[in-house]
Amino acid sequence: MGDRISITGYGIVCAIGTDAEEVLNSLQSGESGIGRMRYLNSRHSELPVGEVRMSNDDMKAALGIDSGRMVSRTSLMGALAVREAVSRIGQERFTGRRAVLISGTTVGNMDINESSPLPVSNECGRSTEEIAEMSGLEDVGTCTISTACSSALNSIILGAEMLRRNEADIVVAGGSEALSVFHLNGFNTLMILDRERCRPFDGTRAGLNLGEGAAYVIMERNADDAAAYVSGYGNRCDAFHQTASSPDGEGAFLAMSDALSMSGLSPDAIDYVNAHGTGTVNNDDSESQALKRVFPDCLPEISSTKSFTGHTTSASGSIETVICILAMQHGFTPASLGWSVPSENCIVPTMGHSGVRLNHVMCNSFGFGGNDSSIILSRSADDAAVLPALEDLYDVCCTADEKVTSREELAGLKEFISPMESRRMGKLMKAAHLSSLRALKAAGIERPDAIVTATSRGMFEISRQFLSDIHTGGEELLKPTLFMQSTHNTIGSALAIRTGCHGYNITYSHGEDSMKWAVRDAERLIRTGQAVSVLVGSYDESTPDFSAFSERGGAEAPAEIYAESIVLTRVIN
Amino acid sequence: MDELILNLKNQIIEALNLEEITPDDIDSDAPLFGGGLGLDSIDALELIVILEKYYGIKLASPAEGRGIFKSIRSIAEYIEQNRTR
Repeated sequence: MGDRISITGYGIVCAIGTDAEEVLNSLQSGESGIGRMRYLNSRHSELPVGEVRMSNDDMKAALGIDSGRMVSRTSLMGALAVREAVSRIGQERFTGRRAVLISGTTVGNMDINESSPLPVSNECGRSTEEIAEMSGLEDVGTCTISTACSSALNSIILGAEMLRRNEADIVVAGGSEALSVFHLNGFNTLMILDRERCRPFDGTRAGLNLGEGAAYVIMERNADDAAAYVSGYGNRCDAFHQTASSPDGEGAFLAMSDALSMSGLSPDAIDYVNAHGTGTVNNDDSESQALKRVFPDCLPEISSTKSFTGHTTSASGSIETVICILAMQHGFTPASLGWSVPSENCIVPTMGHSGVRLNHVMCNSFGFGGNDSSIILSRSADDAAVLPALEDLYDVCCTADEKVTSREELAGLKEFISPMESRRMGKLMKAAHLSSLRALKAAGIERPDAIVTATSRGMFEISRQFLSDIHTGGEELLKPTLFMQSTHNTIGSALAIRTGCHGYNITYSHGEDSMKWAVRDAERLIRTGQAVSVLVGSYDESTPDFSAFSERGGAEAPAEIYAESIVLTRVIN
Repeated sequence: MDELILNLKNQIIEALNLEEITPDDIDSDAPLFGGGLGLDSIDALELIVILEKYYGIKLASPAEGRGIFKSIRSIAEYIEQNRTR
């Protein structure tokens, strides 16, 4: 029993086009979309960016939305891309079927929040709800994944898993991320932004250029009008460092290896790899080592299309998946623009070819904290892998449940982690480590097979501090320590580093439903035999001003700290 | 030089949140990375912020910091030669 996971619809908005046709033209003519800032209002206008060439008002007009409505650029771009995807197959295809929209984002509605005088929280799930509503999918279920720059690819992977386990009949999956002053400054503190156009894998590369955009694919089981098929995927964790990839690219290697193994293909069947290829010294070195390990005999053609789009962060996985679909359909490999000087440790990327037949392509997407994922797409039904249906083989039980809900309890962390090691951790990070390490100890497990995390607002206190520093310091002298733990996946990936867990790692950020999705995923892993033990956690925090603001609005004040970690394990009969 | 070294140690303790460490605990000649204090790449970025914030020295890349951030003394010497404030 198995199915072909068909991609029947797709839509894309990025710096090189606001629909698939425009993107295709730019790719084939080698035109980069990276240039001067037009819409982002930052003091760092010297930094090149890959902006979508539409104002928010242009997007509202295209979507037929009231121009006075307050809605984020992330949601607007997302709705444009979802609408394009749905228009390819027709809205009626959703009627009477179990449908879900899975969206990846990290910045979420930050472009609006960062200029608000109110202490609003950055809940990723809101943008997903807005995208569903603005693209005519009000009735579908929604889910939000936030694993930093691999968010969109992990959304596609979750969609494929849900189809294989017959939890849904039709899935819209991808991601959206608008440029924000917040993350532009964040990446700037890490000193990984190139002042010129990025040059992935080049010997003179000096960092990445941030981009923005959105892309979504529509997936179904065994549809006969597919544009492409999902033949394999892998989600792994590098478990090395919060902001750096390991020298041997272990997480990337494992993710690509899992994807190949699932597809049943040999490495030489892969005709093209769309690399993560950010243009930073570290990523391109590390990814090159991983690629050489996966393809030891002969490297396929490899390029990074971030040289066209900039690094579209949380949306990059789906934007590059759609680029791969276009490449297969139209028989070309996209160029790695800007490359001219070989780099000692790096692969040599392709400058692009036309008139080639691509049967199978691989697309990589890696995020901060080592959330590394990879997918293999196939062109035709004849070539596509038939993926076995995911059947429930095992029962699940909860073997430990630990909570930390106050600042006073954090002193207990010393039992597990030295003050020197925990010096950078915010209070929620400390609480999450304490509850997790206690739960693992109670369950008698040192290293779980997978780590699944739920958080609504993420590392809220630290993000608010970073934002406040941006406003008071005029976008100068900001602390990298704050930004590096501002992404929602920072807890899940730090726990992977702490436990040495290279297994499946994901973070759900969908408001109050985050933990529901997390437990559902962990149970899926165990029931279908993909994991024996999973560390699952729900982590959220508040700040005094946010709590007061919530209470004034009539809502219950959120807890100062809430960390609950549970260990789910396979039932041994 | 002694005063600069003491100021620098205090600025580092604050920026890196080295809660349980006093200036006396830090050997001015011990390596900061690898052994000694055991700092990492994010700490190096914080040291770059300290150079700019307190001494008006702007480094263009983390690679430039590598030769400078060997020990507290080597940073102090670099500051003496290059400070603009």
